[in-house]
Amino acid sequence: MTETLHYPDVVQWAVPLFVIAVLAEIAWIIIRKRGGRYETRDAVTSLVMGAGSVAVGIAMGFIAWGFFMLLWQITPLDLGSSWWVVVLCFVLDDLRYYWVHRFGHRVRWVWASHVNHHSSQHYNLTTALRQTWTGTFTMMMIVRAPLVLLGFHPAMILFVGGLNLIYQFWIHTEAITKLPRWFEKVMNTPSHHRVHHGRNARYLDANYAGVLIIWDKMFGTFVPELDKEKPDYGLVYNLGTFNPLRVAFHEWVGLLRDVFQPGLTLKERFKYAFAPPGYSHDGSRDTSETIKSKHLLRNPSDKGTPGFN
Amino acid sequence: MPLSILLILVGGGIGGIALLLHFLGKSQPVVLTDNTARAAWLRLFPEDTITNVTVSDSGLAALIVTDQGPGLVWSFGIDTVARPLGDAEITESKKRLKIRFPDFSAPRALITLSETERTDWRQKMAQT
Repeated sequence: MTETLHYPDVVQWAVPLFVIAVLAEIAWIIIRKRGGRYETRDAVTSLVMGAGSVAVGIAMGFIAWGFFMLLWQITPLDLGSSWWVVVLCFVLDDLRYYWVHRFGHRVRWVWASHVNHHSSQHYNLTTALRQTWTGTFTMMMIVRAPLVLLGFHPAMILFVGGLNLIYQFWIHTEAITKLPRWFEKVMNTPSHHRVHHGRNARYLDANYAGVLIIWDKMFGTFVPELDKEKPDYGLVYNLGTFNPLRVAFHEWVGLLRDVFQPGLTLKERFKYAFAPPGYSHDGSRDTSETIKSKHLLRNPSDKGTPGFN
Repeated sequence: MPLSILLILVGGGIGGIALLLHFLGKSQPVVLTDNTARAAWLRLFPEDTITNVTVSDSGLAALIVTDQGPGLVWSFGIDTVARPLGDAEITESKKRLKIRFPDFSAPRALITLSETERTDWRQKMAQT
């Protein structure tokens, strides 16, 4: 069994690339006078969130690593480290990403961590870096367990996960409109991911893909970007703060307040933590389903169009 | 990558980008009009019927009166935020209204208003 396997920490090595790409995007927007928007405090908040995420990763990474290594000791399988195993690991980890990301939008416990990535009203390369500080708390590392048990070394899994994250960096831009049709069919692109960041009723809960958009097409969550409807970025109820601590923890605070409010049944408390975001015991809030159905009441002609099937 | 180099890259990158954006004029707040304030409210609360919009003289905030009660739209960088005023705690100082929302994600808004504006806003809030 492969005991030690070393891969570079690709996310750390990509930091200079991130900085250069952000500067290039700003230059493009200034020179071309199109292709996106920047705002100082929004961008700084996103960058601080990104730096904090890397710091938390360094500080808390041992938890996931310890868990994976424990599984690695248990499993009798070892696929080795040949190139095709790395490729297979990348594809399967991308499938894993799709489901974790889907849980991230459909289970409030996971949304509480992921929400900060959607909390900017902008969509530019700094938005890509607005990453969670609380991912470890969600325990979504469990979804990676089957990969380890199948014989993929934990170091390889973290390596391909890093590559996945780097791929997703460049798609957070309005500077690229559409790419060649064959590419848009298979790969996640700026256009597909703009839809994912849209708070429009049409675009809610769509395009969860990391690298390959085929997962959304397979599992019925793909919605194309429509020329007639530009994505409106941000949250259903946008934040009124640039404070990174509030950005990182606001949904956790909301979740805890809801769960521990007086007068609820145990089932209602459970649902406040694990039902889709927007659940309320008295129906006073909107989930993405009710937002879509209310939109169709106001705009019946949208029925049957993408995002309203 | 050595941690010291990573820290320099991250710190330098954030500071450099912040300064660049500021000197490119990307720190200017949005200035509201009746129409943009109305649109900003409906963007978050599309089912409401707006009966009155009062934009502050500074253009950085607007009092929105709706069939659901009063609300506030305020400038948030070049974007906007909107919240109902129903449960908000409002205090006055010489030049400002300080509004505290029971909302961890939008804790407060400081709105610069003249004395005349403050009286007007108070009356409109009381009427709803």
